[in-house]
Amino acid sequence: MTTTVIKYVGRTTDFKGKTLWEIIGNLKNKGVGRYVIRSVFQRYPEPSFMKIVKVETCPAEERRRVRVWVEKTFRGHTLPKLNEIYRTSYKTDYQLIPKNEEKKLLSLLEQYKRSVEVLPNSIEMPPLMKKFIIKDHERKGLEPVKEFTMPITYNHSPNRIHRIAQGNEKPTVQFTMGLGKPASPSLYEGVNLN
Amino acid sequence: MLSSNNLLKKVLPNLIQTAGAHRKPRWLPVAKSKIYRIPKRPVITEEERLELLRINNNYKTQMRAIRRFYHQDMIKQKSSRESATSEMSQRLEAEEWTRCIEINDKWNAQVATEREERRKKEIAAMEEYALARMEKKDILLREKIEKASAEIRREKELSSTFITPETLDSAIDHAIANPTDYNFAIDLKGNVYKGRDTMAAPPTEQKASATN
Repeated sequence: MTTTVIKYVGRTTDFKGKTLWEIIGNLKNKGVGRYVIRSVFQRYPEPSFMKIVKVETCPAEERRRVRVWVEKTFRGHTLPKLNEIYRTSYKTDYQLIPKNEEKKLLSLLEQYKRSVEVLPNSIEMPPLMKKFIIKDHERKGLEPVKEFTMPITYNHSPNRIHRIAQGNEKPTVQFTMGLGKPASPSLYEGVNLN
Repeated sequence: MLSSNNLLKKVLPNLIQTAGAHRKPRWLPVAKSKIYRIPKRPVITEEERLELLRINNNYKTQMRAIRRFYHQDMIKQKSSRESATSEMSQRLEAEEWTRCIEINDKWNAQVATEREERRKKEIAAMEEYALARMEKKDILLREKIEKASAEIRREKELSSTFITPETLDSAIDHAIANPTDYNFAIDLKGNVYKGRDTMAAPPTEQKASATN
């Protein structure tokens, strides 16, 4: 089952590792209690790993797959519920954490503790839209607008830890209609951002 | 694949010039010359990646906000328009209803007068018919009575020749005096010989035709 030499042919890939069954099938007690990582999630500085809680094998037709319930930690945030891995279990992207490195991984969790982000609940309108709305209200004979803001909606995911600001709460992240503050200022050298 | 363009090209080769698709159809496999080609992956610096990510996320957030704003606006406008139209439509409906009732009443009155006239005519016709029938029956009855009375008169006239107890003796006498013999014989020629004891006598009447 285990291959020592891996020779890549064809298109390049980001995946690095084995399928989940290749790892789990060789372990004592089907690897319950062990930690595995997805190598693509190692792009983030925060630790992302999964602790195996329960394993169910699959019939012969699905020989590359396995049904596993894990305690998932994504970017330093441990999800409250167990996650089932089945559809993605065939991906050759799983790596096992040796038992002597588990402690190190868990200690990283303390180091990269993230605070909950508070997202703004409204955003200023773009300049042309402001003018358009003023004209539109004049044309329809409505009272003139004073506040040129509109509410923001967000896509939610259990992997994210954020909260939308309520009332006049000060958000920790700011979204503007302009360019905003560059993430890499070196790209804007010699450009007047104001 | 035979598309309409290809067909046109075959029929009118020099008249029509069309720009065909620049791709192979989706269901064809990878071209032979491209099977072993490995496309290069774009190389992007970490700085640029982060900045692009931030800008794109920012753009998506802005656009979502704008889209939501106008979506809500549209919903509000639609609901207000619907409520306004519903009031208007209710009023219009009530007007329509009263107008319909008026028209209906008018029609009803018209139909009632027509019905009265028709009923009158019908009753008159019925009366006429009944009278005619009665008259016909009267005539029939009168004829019957006349016929019967004529019969009675005839019988009364005949009654004078009836044999009564008073006239019985004379009638018997008369009958004895004038016996009637109904017997007769016929010869081969059809001559009739009346009487039982009548001797062969020269025939009283010639029946030549009977022999034939």
